[in-house]
Amino acid sequence: MLKWLRQFDLPVSRESLSVGGWLICALAVASSLGVLAWPISRHEGLQMWIFSKPHGEMYDTAIERWNQSNTPEINLSLLSNEAMQQRMLAGFLSDTPSADLIEVERNFIPQVFTGPIEDVGFVDLTGRIKAEGIYDQINKPSFAPWSSRGRIFGLPHDVHPMMLAYRADVFEAAGIDLPSVRTWDEFAQVVRPLVGDRNGNDTTDYIISMWASGGFRDQLEALILQAGGALFDESGRMKIDTEVNARVLATLASWMVGPDRIAVDAPEFDATGNKMRLDGRVLVALMPDWLCGVWQSNIPRLSGKLKLMPLPAWEPGGRRTSVWGGAMIGITKTTNDPEGAWKVAKHLYLSEVLAEELFVTNGIISPVKSYWDRDFYDVPSDYFSGQPVGRMYIDLAPDIPIRTSSPFNTQAKDRVANALYRVKEYALKTGRHTPEELMDRAHLELQKAERIVKRQVEQNVFLRSEP
Amino acid sequence: MNSGYPRWAPYVLIAPFLAVFVTFMAYPMLYSLVLAVQQTYGPKASRFVFLDNFAYLLTDPLFWRAVRNTFVFAAGSVLIQLPLSLGLAMLLNHNKVKGRIFFRLIFFSPALVGTVFIAVMFGLMFSRDGLINFSLHGLFSVFDPEFPWLERFVMGSLILAALWQFVGFNMIYFLAALQNVSKELSEAAMVDGAGPWPRFMNVTVPAIRPIASFVVLLSLIGSFQLFELAWVLLNNSGGPDDQGLTVVMYLYQKGFISFDLGYASAIGWVLAALLMVFAVIQRRVSLMDED
Repeated sequence: MLKWLRQFDLPVSRESLSVGGWLICALAVASSLGVLAWPISRHEGLQMWIFSKPHGEMYDTAIERWNQSNTPEINLSLLSNEAMQQRMLAGFLSDTPSADLIEVERNFIPQVFTGPIEDVGFVDLTGRIKAEGIYDQINKPSFAPWSSRGRIFGLPHDVHPMMLAYRADVFEAAGIDLPSVRTWDEFAQVVRPLVGDRNGNDTTDYIISMWASGGFRDQLEALILQAGGALFDESGRMKIDTEVNARVLATLASWMVGPDRIAVDAPEFDATGNKMRLDGRVLVALMPDWLCGVWQSNIPRLSGKLKLMPLPAWEPGGRRTSVWGGAMIGITKTTNDPEGAWKVAKHLYLSEVLAEELFVTNGIISPVKSYWDRDFYDVPSDYFSGQPVGRMYIDLAPDIPIRTSSPFNTQAKDRVANALYRVKEYALKTGRHTPEELMDRAHLELQKAERIVKRQVEQNVFLRSEP
Repeated sequence: MNSGYPRWAPYVLIAPFLAVFVTFMAYPMLYSLVLAVQQTYGPKASRFVFLDNFAYLLTDPLFWRAVRNTFVFAAGSVLIQLPLSLGLAMLLNHNKVKGRIFFRLIFFSPALVGTVFIAVMFGLMFSRDGLINFSLHGLFSVFDPEFPWLERFVMGSLILAALWQFVGFNMIYFLAALQNVSKELSEAAMVDGAGPWPRFMNVTVPAIRPIASFVVLLSLIGSFQLFELAWVLLNNSGGPDDQGLTVVMYLYQKGFISFDLGYASAIGWVLAALLMVFAVIQRRVSLMDED
């Protein structure tokens, strides 16, 4: 090297650098060569990204079986939601390869639909789904979150109807017949006697896990949908400030403050929240089918103490369920094998064997309607006091409301959750606690939320220029 | 004059720096200007919108909320943190204080801890069943044992966390500055009958002013770049009612969640302009001192 440098007449000699200096140079050269020579690992077959560990545990065996006797081979990678979102969108937006198949959670899909329709990174599956009769096999509302501007970009993984989970041991000991409750107003009245220091630890214990925070935005949307409200209508027009939405916000805020308070902040997927549930500091929770699986895994000590019932309706005779969460599988445009990816997607999402495994391992019911009469959905659940949980969810599945697939849905949900927080704070400051007293404020806050989201919608030149 | 080196030798020698500078600084900065006049959906789809991003920004309530929050945080940092840092520095500069080196290390050590770790730690402390509520309820039984700090005291929580992290760091600057204070002048002032406060105002403050104004500028720049601490402490959001939304957090949301790199660039340039204003003010103050 010294010889090579000397040909440029540079005054380089052994003494130009100290021993340490030469060592650093040598290490730099060696490590550069090492990096260049490092073999890049390439998997054969299709790459599939998922975000959910329980889903992954189920897919592991299914994929092992598939790989033994089918092609193409599938390689599964589990990523956190945020990491997947970043890598997926970075790949989509720069036309660089990501995975061949990606399972995406509902909250991370609006960003995929924000730009021009031709720039959506997933393959448009509308033609395949309709041509192969899959569209008629699947519960229609399950397609909505994965559709944009009339095109379907993914196979739905689930239906996710919601029920109410309650501590049957506590309610039955108190002589309260909760399943006979029909409406939310009735619910608030019936449970109120249980508010108080139930654990003798000098703090007030409330009833239902519900709070005005960003973490509650999905549940808030679910309750708005259940009430017949929405943030966007089916044609994507915004409808945030409506009478129904304001009624939901005012009612929820009235449950969070004042003498009639029944709600408490017991976050899901959180040790604090789970401890509150175990200690009986919160007795009721909104429960989509997937959350049953999470609770069984995270809070096994509640086994046999819980029961499920349909959600109380917002008005007599109203809808007794809603929808929270969801996932889809999509084929990326950069895949080299779209046919193979389609074959795999159908196997994982539409096969009966996997539908059963999905229910047994995750508590999730399949969106394929023809499986809904299968016996495995009738097996009593020990965790939920012997109730046939699958059958109960299936009975409600046809009634789930249709959700929007607006690219601005996440922003809208954030703003409406913020509006709920502000209504709650207003109630706290003014001492106005009843839903009637809070209606005007709820409208005011929803108007503000609508203005902010509307400006964001109007600013988007890509969507503005499309029909 | 012939130096003995080929004429191209200097260019080769500065080439590595130039390559890095052009690739990672000059080009991104210029390209961000181009982006600021476009609306983008990632790097692939873009439309020229001229000054629309800046016009939208002027009337964007969330941006102004973020600006207000950032100013409050900056004011909290400068008005609480820096006097405290100076106080600690003066205390630890005093010969009579025993174990000065140990305390310097103790006060400086939070600056060595990662911001994300600090955010997680303060998040746990400020949670409903966290150490703060536990301690306050233990000391004063009337205190709400489940006080929602991260709902009602968002900016205060952020300022406190930053205070813990940086008070010792800024203390080191002030300690160095205090070495410039002339002992003779201070003693002469004492002989002339000047008390501690007049000595502080007329001897210490003029001596440390150049470094103090530099520390103020650094703190302001740091405050205006607040991101990780708030982002992690508030669970990847601006917190309830956007009480903790900062300018850089909003820039991140727009650029890397909504993928509107154009609008994010516009926010970045406005932030840069704000920081430039502070830098100019600091420069003016320094020049006035020199005059």
